[in-house]
Amino acid sequence: MAIITISRGSYSKGKEVAERVAEKLGYDCISRDVLLEASERFHIPEIKLVRAIHDSPSILRRFSHDDQAYIAYIQSALTARARKDHLVYHGLAGHLLLKGVPHVLKVRIIADLPDRVANEMARERITEEEARTLILKDDEERRRWTQHLYGVDPWDSHLYDLVLRIHKLRVADAVDFICQAATRDAFKTTPASQQKMDDLALACQVKAVLIDSFPDVAVTSEYGNVLVYTKGSDRSTHKLQKKTKELRDEIGEIKYIEVHAGGSFPPNAV
Amino acid sequence: METLTMNMILVMAMIGVAVFLFIVEWIRVDVVAILMMVTLPLLHLVSPKEAFIGLSSNAVVSIIAVIIIGAGLDKTGIINRVVTPILRIAGAHPSRIVTAISVTVAAISSFMQNIGAAALFLPAVQRISKSLKIPISRLLMPIGFSAILGGTVTLVGSSPLILLNDLLTPFHLKPFALFDVTPIGLCLVASGIACFVVLGKFILPQGTVDETGVEQDRVQGDDSLPDLGEVYELHTPEDFTHYRDAILVKDLRRRYLVNVVALTEPPDFKVIPPPPEAEVRSEIDLAVYGREKDVQRMAEGEGMALKERLEVFKNDVADHSAGTVEAVVAPRSTLDGKTLSQVKLQDRYQVTPLAIYRQGETYRAEIGDMILRVGDAILIHGDWKRLQLLESEGNLLLTTPIDVEEMRPDKAIFAGIWFIVAIVMVMVFKIQLSVCLMTGALGMILSRVLTIDEAYHAVDWRTIFLLGGLIPLGLATEKTGTAAWIAHTVLGAIGTVKPIALLAIIGLLSTLFTLVISNVGATVLLVPLVVNLAVAANADPRMAALVVGIATSNSFILPTHQVNALYMGPGHYRSVDFIKAGFVVSIVFLIVTIGMIYLVYGA
Repeated sequence: MAIITISRGSYSKGKEVAERVAEKLGYDCISRDVLLEASERFHIPEIKLVRAIHDSPSILRRFSHDDQAYIAYIQSALTARARKDHLVYHGLAGHLLLKGVPHVLKVRIIADLPDRVANEMARERITEEEARTLILKDDEERRRWTQHLYGVDPWDSHLYDLVLRIHKLRVADAVDFICQAATRDAFKTTPASQQKMDDLALACQVKAVLIDSFPDVAVTSEYGNVLVYTKGSDRSTHKLQKKTKELRDEIGEIKYIEVHAGGSFPPNAV
Repeated sequence: METLTMNMILVMAMIGVAVFLFIVEWIRVDVVAILMMVTLPLLHLVSPKEAFIGLSSNAVVSIIAVIIIGAGLDKTGIINRVVTPILRIAGAHPSRIVTAISVTVAAISSFMQNIGAAALFLPAVQRISKSLKIPISRLLMPIGFSAILGGTVTLVGSSPLILLNDLLTPFHLKPFALFDVTPIGLCLVASGIACFVVLGKFILPQGTVDETGVEQDRVQGDDSLPDLGEVYELHTPEDFTHYRDAILVKDLRRRYLVNVVALTEPPDFKVIPPPPEAEVRSEIDLAVYGREKDVQRMAEGEGMALKERLEVFKNDVADHSAGTVEAVVAPRSTLDGKTLSQVKLQDRYQVTPLAIYRQGETYRAEIGDMILRVGDAILIHGDWKRLQLLESEGNLLLTTPIDVEEMRPDKAIFAGIWFIVAIVMVMVFKIQLSVCLMTGALGMILSRVLTIDEAYHAVDWRTIFLLGGLIPLGLATEKTGTAAWIAHTVLGAIGTVKPIALLAIIGLLSTLFTLVISNVGATVLLVPLVVNLAVAANADPRMAALVVGIATSNSFILPTHQVNALYMGPGHYRSVDFIKAGFVVSIVFLIVTIGMIYLVYGA
């Protein structure tokens, strides 16, 4: 039992790999479904969520809190699903949205540029030059987005457990490798790792509720003890404190909740 | 009317900068003062000599001497000896206790720095609250306010009054004597206490006290708040460590908010308290401090057996050997601005911090990473001896009386004598205040009440530089004619006013200034201004200055005054509590001040 995230560029066969892995292991396979779920739950048009996780931030949007809010909604929807386990998620930043969970197998699928260009040409019926420009632009957008939000480069192989290049290895080979890795002990769901997953989901849930009114918060949870961090001074946090007390009654999983103001955010906070 | 010169505009700009920096606090107030000290001569608004004249002024030297004398009196325990019988007389009735302590703190504060007097009484008041089961919130605020009000009883009671005569020198006005303000000050103290005795029910937060003496939350009646639990003993089963990662003491704290204060180590060692990295092994006993529901959750979650009573540790964590104290971050504590993890409280003193109270909120999770501030109250569990050691360092004020500080009671007589010598010199001889007080301070050092190093250490250099740096700003305001210009412009705008109305306006203005910028800043900026105003309006300029000197102590509405900031955490007050009580006291303060000046001096 594990959670598998597959990060991919466009036309890298990542989707195909994900679907076949899910089929072989009997897991659910999700991608955009998460966006749909988030858009329903938080009443945000799906197109806005797509833009938030795809387009690289423009100068104007860099200062907008909307993107951060959308990411929080998406992360909340994804973690809510991921805690049920048996999941293959393919799409952008799954490995970052599920950070800190031990039983997540993080995979990156890459393909050679000529192969991708050929695929895009066939699908969109455009010239080689146009296809190449589009793919490179798309890669750059995704790279800038990840760097802006998480300060990491999606092409850095250290972020993944497994990087597979679809060229000499075919899709079927990649599926075999991933399925084999997923059954290793290191990716087995244990009570402790499930606890981490549950805590992450709870923290994301709290953040998604708060972020609309309090854009500047970070949340951690450990065994249901939720800590809400804010950069604001004590005076401005009075409202936040009131809100968190309401949350404690609304969300049964919260064992304890507290607001810490003024300090820096811990690295494991969402 | 005088014309506005370039220098006047520059001075006003500098005042603007100072006030702005005081409010936004990008840099500390004393640094703002030093900035003024350096910038004014650079702009040729004062001469280089005048820029630093503040440091050698009567006011600054007097404050240094007052602090040393106060430290000397404190060191010999003479004040505690005076206080103990007073508390005994006061009995158990809240109003009588408030009155007795308030009068005493006001008396001490009239000769000591207000914050020093307030800090001195904090542990005693916390103790009284616990033993008599009176909510601390009903005691601390009246006492804190009295410490501030006591500052108006003599001319050495508060920084603004010490400063007053220096600020009057350029105008060639007659300086005030030590007890000139006493009638007004006494009335202020009396009316302040009366406010709380009569209106206390309406203006003070009404808390209740539970068994441990810890105040229950007043607003939400909330279960997560001050119920901080007690000590429980548990046993781990044989298979406790099987098939899972090692569980450390700090893990239990993070997961269940339960603090392990002792555990056994095979074969038969006891570790009290265990370090955060200590592993909880199979078949051991552990004593934990926490809320019952958290301890039960831990016992179930981790498979431990919760015992009905203390067994293995009943002698180790029992009341006579260990306990829980509330420790307040003292003024000028080295802990201010640091986190508990940074100061390594647990490593150095082997005590366990359990919770932090701040502004009416209780913090229990990840408190090691919270940046501490003066007035924060930390709940600490530990061995009495180690808590004593912690208290002796002087950074924390502890609730429980642990007499460990190297007291010199045998020197009490010398301390008393030199204190009286200083006061007699001030009253009888026509010698400058600073010389008289410094004589007393020197006497204490020569008679070994305290060493010269202790005296240096006692001086609060922040106050010194704040005063020293702002004095040239006041000087520049006067020298360039800025004060006169503003005074004439203001009077031109509002027309002629009766002297009494003018004094009332000055009182109100001083109150507003002292709430946003420090009392010293308000005094330095306002005195030159109001003297000019009074002269132009045919009122007594000395009285106008006196109103400023007194009304800058009218700092009750916001917890910005040092004393209020110190009492906020231990009193579990919120800002709104200060607004409510402070508003009433501030109005009474202004009425009494103006009324008394009118009656006593016939201004």
